[in-house]
Amino acid sequence: MHIADGILPAQMAIAGYAGTGLVTWYSLRKINQMANPQAQIPKASLLTAAFFVASWIHIPVPPTSVHLILNGLLGTVLGYFAFPAILIGLLFQTVMFQHGGLSTLGINAVMMGLPAIAAHHIFQLRHQFKSLPPWGLGLFGFLSGSLGMGLAVLIFFGLLVTHLAGGLDAQAETAAIVGLCLAHLPVIVLEGIFTALLVTFFSRVKPELLPSP
Amino acid sequence: MAGAIVGTMVGVGAGLGDAAPSLAHGTNIQHQITSAVKIQAAYDTGEPMAEAQVSVYAPDDPQQPWMTGLTNEQGEFIFTPDNTLSGNWEVQVRQAGHGDIVTIPWDASASDTAAVAANNTATASTGYTTAQLLLMGATGVWGLVGTALFFSRRQG
Repeated sequence: MHIADGILPAQMAIAGYAGTGLVTWYSLRKINQMANPQAQIPKASLLTAAFFVASWIHIPVPPTSVHLILNGLLGTVLGYFAFPAILIGLLFQTVMFQHGGLSTLGINAVMMGLPAIAAHHIFQLRHQFKSLPPWGLGLFGFLSGSLGMGLAVLIFFGLLVTHLAGGLDAQAETAAIVGLCLAHLPVIVLEGIFTALLVTFFSRVKPELLPSP
Repeated sequence: MAGAIVGTMVGVGAGLGDAAPSLAHGTNIQHQITSAVKIQAAYDTGEPMAEAQVSVYAPDDPQQPWMTGLTNEQGEFIFTPDNTLSGNWEVQVRQAGHGDIVTIPWDASASDTAAVAANNTATASTGYTTAQLLLMGATGVWGLVGTALFFSRRQG
């Protein structure tokens, strides 16, 4: 679900880089405000590796196949570290595997990184409840993990259908885009379940790995 | 090289000016053997880009498609460039926000035009072997794991 070079107009590519610069600055500012930001780097680095290889894991959803993204999971576990982590992961994916493109790196970072930050805030909503039932943490993990990816798919859909290139059969291309987005629905659920399982595991084994209020 | 036989069927009318349908028709089928360009489009998973939209741009007009069409189930598309237009033909293959553009040098006067064209393929793959991709991926992962280990050690 990476947008490749040449798919969107140059103005969008420039706007994507501008947005990425802004969000990266804000994320680093929030990270700098943490008590000990360096302590989070090992966790962020390992999840960047997970994000980097996730695009290799293809799940067959007939008649096509889609790959994992894990942006919701990164936002849930890393908080504001998720945006630079996703940016680095996308850069590696672009340079090594041509997933996406260098001109669209900014757009892809915003498309996957902003929903990751949204996922972080969704997961943090659990602190609004004084006493969560045992399954509450898993529920918030599921919501943040699945909505993080769901928002990214929605942005992907919106960007593509509003910027169809001339010379294309708009109806056929829109149908193909809708089909691809619908094919992501099972993966959205799957990433939500995976995120729920991970945060539940962390809360039992090492709760300090989950972001504090 | 993909050779294509182009058949042209020309109907010869009998009884010009006669409104009644003719029951006897002569036919004249002509053919010529020409060179064509075959595009093979696939995702990097190897999955063919079936029914993807193809836009062919002639060297003299990179803005307006000279020809459009769809790939078949195997992700293939065949077209015959205009032999009067030498230069770089660009072929764009797109499907659901994915795609690529390939530039095909076409010299109508050159004898090996077909061979040049046949060696160009429009795919979304990286061009690396699986082993190369695995090695690159492993080095990337190791770099990130190494970073995690480095900062974990400093914490200790």
